[in-house]
Amino acid sequence: MTQQTERPGRAPATAPADPARVAAYWRRAAVATAPAADAPRERAAAEQAVRAAYRAAGLAEPTAVVRLDSPLQALAAALILGGGAQAVLAGPGAAQAAAVLAAAGRRLADAGVAAEPGAAGPSVREPVRTAPWERSRRLVRERLGGAGWAGLWALTGGELWPQTQALTGRIEGVLTDRLAPEAEAEADGTVRVRATAAVRAVRSALLDAVLGQHDAPWLAVFDAAGPGFEGDLAGLAGLAAVARHAGWWWPYERVALVAARPTTLHRDEAGRLDRADGPALAYPDGFALHAWRGMPVPEDFLAGLDGLTTERIREEENAELRRVMLEHYGYDRYLADSGAEPLHRDETGVLWRIQLPDDEPVVMVEVVNSTAEPDGTFRTYWLRVPPATRTARAGVAWTFGVPEQDYLPERET
Amino acid sequence: MYRQGDVLIVPVEEAAVPQRVAGLPGQPRDARGRLVLALGEVTGHAHAVVGPGELRREPGPFATAWLHLTEGGRVVHEEHAVIPLPKGWYRVVRQREYLPGAVRVVAD
Repeated sequence: MTQQTERPGRAPATAPADPARVAAYWRRAAVATAPAADAPRERAAAEQAVRAAYRAAGLAEPTAVVRLDSPLQALAAALILGGGAQAVLAGPGAAQAAAVLAAAGRRLADAGVAAEPGAAGPSVREPVRTAPWERSRRLVRERLGGAGWAGLWALTGGELWPQTQALTGRIEGVLTDRLAPEAEAEADGTVRVRATAAVRAVRSALLDAVLGQHDAPWLAVFDAAGPGFEGDLAGLAGLAAVARHAGWWWPYERVALVAARPTTLHRDEAGRLDRADGPALAYPDGFALHAWRGMPVPEDFLAGLDGLTTERIREEENAELRRVMLEHYGYDRYLADSGAEPLHRDETGVLWRIQLPDDEPVVMVEVVNSTAEPDGTFRTYWLRVPPATRTARAGVAWTFGVPEQDYLPERET
Repeated sequence: MYRQGDVLIVPVEEAAVPQRVAGLPGQPRDARGRLVLALGEVTGHAHAVVGPGELRREPGPFATAWLHLTEGGRVVHEEHAVIPLPKGWYRVVRQREYLPGAVRVVAD
């Protein structure tokens, strides 16, 4: 697998890249998971790609490419090598961080790297990632012009950006919480200062990361601008190959830290992390995020969803968790079990209201699909609308951003 | 005005189409040559238009799209009945749902 033959897109090199296909390819790459059984192959491919990225940057290959089992473990290794581990171990998350740092330290030692500050040399993120990125962006802009660049971005990276950004932002937040949690409200000044120093160390280490598969939006726009990564854009081939075989990675002068891709990723139609019966995102070392339709939830909260009752839902004080409970229980079932009253009924549907203590009421329109299901029945669904809604038509019209009096479809299917 | 599932298609007079629409990039057709109005990312089902014309999309998650059908066309979907559309300009709106403090797109 050489730099020249490493092609991230699927179109032949001579054909103009089709932005929709390239975007679809990188959308899949951004959310790809790697089953544990693939680890050895994945690891070898990622290592080769990392070495290619160093060569493309004009650097000597790293003496060691260390495989880590999650972005958490890789970040811990980066903290050890970058000198931030002490600040984290002095912070309020020390107990939790110690175990993660110890595991990362063992991985470094197994790879023959001393688990101490400076052992890997300085970060080379700038020459490996940022400089070729900037060069490619300048070249593509010159080739396409400002409007052409904006148009291509809209069709490729711009489409992938919001969801990828939401995912990486969520991961960063959880990583920071795990290694450098905030000080307790009643903590004294010294603890607060240490908490702040720990957060700073974690953020600093995160700045050195290259996002691997989560760099897909940028790789998509460069790939579509192509053709491919031939010619002027050849400098990105190694980075693109890493993105197909690895998660976040940290390039240092003598050592590269490479995190595995997740083994589990569940999202809803809107692209948000979403799973009711286990982690929505999980890595080989057990680092995991639990979420319901994008909202982070504690792991044990999900386990309790099966035995829900209307009373339990009403009693939940956290409005966001109550919303999760309601969605899990099912609005229709809740309407029936809680004796909710219809507020209004017209030819568009039925408007329902559920009163909640210390919170705005849940107001929903019940709509019946106009097209029959294969068995001849019509699917009913509920959409939540603003609490001030007074009629079913106003509710349906609101879901489409149309004034009530203007919502008059002549054909519905 | 036409509704197919979570997509509303509103006829617009050509004179009422905003100037900025001319500057928006035309969306590429999918592998089957259709203009995709909305794509269900997990199911792969799509609200799509068959017929000559163009689709221009505003940036952003709740973006309105603008559909120009030069000879008329049909809106198709794997689970909904086909809707014929006369030629002309249309505003395409994706259904949304209310959340306290936020609004989200309906995932059909």
